[in-house]
Amino acid sequence: MLDIRGLEKSFGGVRALAGANLSVEAGSVHGLLGENGAGKSTLIKALSGLVTPDRGEIRLDGSICEIHGVQHAEELGFRFIHQELSVVPYFTAVENAFVGRSYPRRGPFFNKQAMRNMVAGTARDIAPDLPLDLPVGRMTTGQKQLVEIIRALMGSPARLVVMDEPTASLSDGEARRLHSAVRGLAERGVAVIFISHRLDEVTEICDHFTVLRNGATVGGGAIGETNRGHLVELMSGRQEVVVARPQPHTGSEVVLDVDGLAFGDRGNRVSFQIHAGEILGLYGLVGAGRSSLMKIIWGARRQGVGRISLDGVALRSGRISDRIDRGGAYVPEDRRTQGLITVRSIAENLALTNLPAVRKWSRLPIISWKALAERAAAVKSQLTIRMASPFARPLTLSGGNQQKLLFGRWFGRGIRLLILDEPTRGVDVGAKAELHAIARDFAARGAAVLLTTSDMDELLALANRVLVIAGGEVTATLSGDELKPARIIDAAFQHQERKVSVQ
Amino acid sequence: MTDFIRKFGTLLALVAIVALFAALSPDAFGSANNLINITQQMTLLSIVAVGATVVMAVGEFDLSTASIVSFGGILVVFLLKLGVTPPLACLAVLAGAAVFGAISGLIVSRFEVLSFIVTLAMGTIIGGITFWLCDGATLFGSIPDGFRNIARGHVAGLPTLTWWLIGTSVIAWVVLDKVELGRRLYAIGGNREAARLAGVRIVSNTVVAFMISAVFSALVGILLTARIGSANPTGGGGYLLNAYAAIFLGMTAFREGEANVAGTLVGSAIIAVIGNGLTILGVSTFLQDIITGLIILAAVLVRRAGRARG
Repeated sequence: MLDIRGLEKSFGGVRALAGANLSVEAGSVHGLLGENGAGKSTLIKALSGLVTPDRGEIRLDGSICEIHGVQHAEELGFRFIHQELSVVPYFTAVENAFVGRSYPRRGPFFNKQAMRNMVAGTARDIAPDLPLDLPVGRMTTGQKQLVEIIRALMGSPARLVVMDEPTASLSDGEARRLHSAVRGLAERGVAVIFISHRLDEVTEICDHFTVLRNGATVGGGAIGETNRGHLVELMSGRQEVVVARPQPHTGSEVVLDVDGLAFGDRGNRVSFQIHAGEILGLYGLVGAGRSSLMKIIWGARRQGVGRISLDGVALRSGRISDRIDRGGAYVPEDRRTQGLITVRSIAENLALTNLPAVRKWSRLPIISWKALAERAAAVKSQLTIRMASPFARPLTLSGGNQQKLLFGRWFGRGIRLLILDEPTRGVDVGAKAELHAIARDFAARGAAVLLTTSDMDELLALANRVLVIAGGEVTATLSGDELKPARIIDAAFQHQERKVSVQ
Repeated sequence: MTDFIRKFGTLLALVAIVALFAALSPDAFGSANNLINITQQMTLLSIVAVGATVVMAVGEFDLSTASIVSFGGILVVFLLKLGVTPPLACLAVLAGAAVFGAISGLIVSRFEVLSFIVTLAMGTIIGGITFWLCDGATLFGSIPDGFRNIARGHVAGLPTLTWWLIGTSVIAWVVLDKVELGRRLYAIGGNREAARLAGVRIVSNTVVAFMISAVFSALVGILLTARIGSANPTGGGGYLLNAYAAIFLGMTAFREGEANVAGTLVGSAIIAVIGNGLTILGVSTFLQDIITGLIILAAVLVRRAGRARG
């Protein structure tokens, strides 16, 4: 039914798709696999008309098809169920099913009874036990997913339903109910593209699979002809490149001590230590709870049970200032929404974490514009930030230089702990190398560095030791020779499976 | 050039409006006496607006200003009637207002409730307290002359009220543009989450901003009472919308899209000049309201257009 050949797409020099192929049959469930950044989302966006491919073709029933936009994709019968559900919480399942669709009418009014009958008819096959008249806001995530599936079948006939990690936040029981709904879709002759990081469910409910790596299709076929090990191999794919890997770190004092800290929705606990000069990498697939863990450690989110200490001093829950006073530093994951004050100048952004450093007289809290400019100039030369004026706004800089500002604002303080959340997202290769050098420099000067990244190459380039999180649990601790992509990916895809602890 | 207009356009508009009225009515509007009159008329409004500007810097609204003006005016007479000395009465009023401001700021920042709703509710509560204090009546009598002089007469050649405006404006300007507090307030207003993650304490800084606004409003209540020699429980009513009109006009001046003290002063001058000039020309008050509203809409639209081009 759907046949994608040689799709390519670049975003400002970054190749998101580099020859992706995908072939989906009507009435079957097709698993789309790949690690973070492999190109799955870009491929899906090409189908939904949000992204226009640079090269390659999409064929629908054998003829070439250009998708002009979201509306057009909808007319073609494509439906997309995203991870962030788009249901109206105050509406019932019936009301939600018709949002953006044409309502059955009786004269000028919509016909509630007809709406309910239409939804009930669909729900009978897909999800017979779904409460149709309950406001969706009071449903579980799994039930909301089912509402989305029913919604996808309303309106013009659906031919292809794409589901992006629908089970990522579901309990096992709910996931099983969703699986049967997905099978129900296929039995109605709908083609389903199922994106998941849970290999066990992929092998269970999918008929076919396609694996993407670095934007290209590297494997595919019938699910019966493959197994877990093979899929992991395809996804990680890297030949064991011999590069100077960071060596395991021993001997220096413990700086950060996390003891039995609760995180994630399931009340899991994590314990680890980071030594002075060590870079600890935290790896997990999207949705594994990494960012939430980082925020708890930084004090930006309140913690449950457990202890966090910095240089032997216990840090209070939810107190960012505790961390800063003891030499903590943090580079948030999204520089636009969490990092930069975009309406203030570069100089102010650099000084915000250390305003006393730009005082006119040390005793009074009066700002000196001269000191502000001098501090910006000092950071600029140390980090080679390319900027026109320190009083320009930060968004006038390139992404890499913006990211350097987030590192730069911690300069001039004795940093003991540096927390990096996706430190090089969306920056070019050159800037990435510079940012890596800055991170290593912080470590070389005795800081403990906690890094989380979706970029496997970055993880391997920086981390002395890697902690892998899956399903809210630490599934592996790897260092030295064990630090190989296949080992990391294998641990990251362990969901409710055999728990391996490699010391 | 476009940069110049973007920065100083609002100021040029003020000059143009003044020139227009001076041309239309050279004798009455252009007289030195009338110009001093205008500064007198804009003083109290400007002080309220300047205080609310500090709250705007953290990206919040303080809609309790008008209620606090009335409250300040009534409470000071209430205390004077009880025999409290004027300086002590004034201090008590300012402290009371600071407490109200702190409560609003705390609820807004700690519990992340919309400042619109919180200050509207606070304003209603304060209005109720004000009516309770005065039994709904205008309070007069037992107001000593010494107290009244804080808002009457001249000091060093300028009207006393003008000195109050200068003093409060300098305080607000120092707070926003000269000290660390201002950097933190603008950072919160610019990107609250980023500021929080960078270690800026959201709660304490927001509370301070609301306290400043409340104290300025209460000061206006005191000055209003001193000036007219009595206090009315709805005396502050006119100060809310005009103060925000001044702030919005000011956000188009000097710094793009940001509440700033100098801009607010220009904004309230524009409003005062228009009111004064139209009265002199004999334009009826309801037409004045329509014209003032149109000018504010025009200013906001001009800013939109400027941003779209930039």
